[in-house]
Amino acid sequence: MFNLPHFVARSITYLLLSLAAFVSIFPFFWMVVGATNRSVDIGIGKATFGDQLFVNAANFFATVDAPRIFWNSAFIALVGTVLTLAVSSLAGYGFEMFRSKFRERIFTLMLLLLSIPFAALMVPLFVMISSFKLVGTVAAVVLPGIASIFIIFYFRQATKAFPGELRDAARVDGLNEWQIFFYIYLPTMRSTYAAAIIIVFMANWNNYLWPLIVLNKPEQKTATLVISSLTSSYTPDFGMILFGTILATLPTLIIFFLLQRRFVEGMLGAVK
Amino acid sequence: MTTTALRWRHALAMAAAAGVSMLTMTAAMAVDVTVWAWDTNFNGAAMKEAASRYAPSHPDVNIKVDDSMQQEDIRQKLQTQLLAGDTTGLPDIVLIQDDVAQKYLQSFPGAFVPLSDSIDMSAFAPYKVAAATHDGKSYSLPFDSGVTGLFYRADYLKDAGYEADALKDLTWDKFIQIGKDVKAKTGHNLIALDLNGSGLIRIMMQSAGAWYFNPDGSLNILDNKPLKAALETYAKIWQADIVKPASGWTEFTGAFTSGETAVALNGVWMTGTIKSQPDQAGKWGVAPIPKLEGVEGATGYSNEGGSSWYVLSSGAGKDAAVDFLKSIWATDVDFYQKILIGQGAFSTWLPASAGDAYKASDDFFGGQPVWANFSEWQAKIPSIDYGIYTAEVDSAVVAQLPTITQGGSVDDALKAINDQASQQMQ
Repeated sequence: MFNLPHFVARSITYLLLSLAAFVSIFPFFWMVVGATNRSVDIGIGKATFGDQLFVNAANFFATVDAPRIFWNSAFIALVGTVLTLAVSSLAGYGFEMFRSKFRERIFTLMLLLLSIPFAALMVPLFVMISSFKLVGTVAAVVLPGIASIFIIFYFRQATKAFPGELRDAARVDGLNEWQIFFYIYLPTMRSTYAAAIIIVFMANWNNYLWPLIVLNKPEQKTATLVISSLTSSYTPDFGMILFGTILATLPTLIIFFLLQRRFVEGMLGAVK
Repeated sequence: MTTTALRWRHALAMAAAAGVSMLTMTAAMAVDVTVWAWDTNFNGAAMKEAASRYAPSHPDVNIKVDDSMQQEDIRQKLQTQLLAGDTTGLPDIVLIQDDVAQKYLQSFPGAFVPLSDSIDMSAFAPYKVAAATHDGKSYSLPFDSGVTGLFYRADYLKDAGYEADALKDLTWDKFIQIGKDVKAKTGHNLIALDLNGSGLIRIMMQSAGAWYFNPDGSLNILDNKPLKAALETYAKIWQADIVKPASGWTEFTGAFTSGETAVALNGVWMTGTIKSQPDQAGKWGVAPIPKLEGVEGATGYSNEGGSSWYVLSSGAGKDAAVDFLKSIWATDVDFYQKILIGQGAFSTWLPASAGDAYKASDDFFGGQPVWANFSEWQAKIPSIDYGIYTAEVDSAVVAQLPTITQGGSVDDALKAINDQASQQMQ
């Protein structure tokens, strides 16, 4: 039977969802369409596909040393992801699994630190990195992020679902704490790791301000830095820039689609 | 071994030793000069051209231009590293936009080399030198000019009954009248304006030799007659219904390159953008900007944007950097002809205008000697001190623009600008 209030509620839901979908998809659509058009056409708001894709691509590869900047980005993102997961997952596991008198207070203090904006930390952080003589190295880019409070928090929350019996059984079987972490915890928490990889990889790949500050040589620059600098010209070639933006978006998209199923499980906190 | 052979060996060893020491000497003397600039096609290209002219006579100096950053990024890096007191990553020469220069000069005393000690500043446009002068010394090698011009579509104006002569000694009221006639007869709006920018207000204010501050650096808003006149004029332009509203740079430039609006009132650097549409050749002209009527010191000459080169005193290559700027940027007339033709970079080094490129007439602008005109106007731009809080006051001004264009009181707006700016300057 036709239920009017139900129909109205449904319609409103779908309308809002469609609107949200449009808002999220439109920038991607605009990026792809823009990459096929001339800069002038983009300026006047042409929203249909053009025939300039290859011209824009050729201009992009002629202007930018693409292999190098993408390699720089990939290297930083990969090293950053591996180290962040190693340090932060261990910390999250530790916070949940081991009891100590000040555990909760330290954890609360850490969460409070999340509220300090990066801009306020930048100068002291730079002084620190430069006193280690690391300015201009990949280590300078990656190190400040590897103890990520957000990822530690995320792993601690996920670890709450990790069955204590499993750990106790492993202890009875004679495994030490490191072995429990590597042989029992790690494989069990695959989904959590997958979700964390996506988050951390994306953050590292898109990181802008900090690499900008600590990297000084043009040959070290990441894709994000170089592509965004193309817009600073007095007469920017938007078609070429959007083509570059597509390339720069691809790696995170690929990682996301590869780990998508596990990402959803991870976000739901599933333990298999 | 015979004596001769021994002698030969000795001589050879001496020669080798001399060769090695020569090599190490050149290696020790070779110096790197790094340069940071934004915009590969404009600033970067001009600097690279300068470097290539300096190289043959100075094989020991290696000038490296990094133009892979945005202007904001360069500011961010400079600021962080100067604040941190660690200058290891900073370049020897850096490009800074004129209206933010005082902030660096005053916030980081000693960070930059006073160039007026070694370079003759009287050969540059006075307003450019003033922008980089602090405590009696000038710190920049003035680069590109922002001398303003009124770029107009001669064909649209002609359709509305105006010849080029009508644009001589123009006032803003006359400008608005022309706009109304152009709209009535051709259907085109006169000008595109973006409410998110205060460019036109600043152009009008500087044309009367005024800025947001008193000589002691304190705010000068409430009794600032040129600023008040500028805001009133700005409101009148909008209310005359001759404005095409634009949001963002692409839409703004698109308005006149597509033929939608009849004029563009901007710095000389807009010439390249205007000429990017070859099918409009012969249809454009350039005139001085209108004057603020009834304002003391009002002229038809002003400035928008422009930047200059600064030498950091922490750089290992600073002496070579100063010598390089002096030998090319303050000496070489031909160099300026080359970057004018190649990049459209309009010099603020006054002797450059004696070169051929500066004298040439341009068919795109109906055979006008465009560069010679700009050179003449540039020398007449009133000098002002941009102070260190221009950005803060700008945002206070922009916040009031929508209200005044809709008929709000300009006095109230001035008060609001004064309040917001004084709060931010604390």
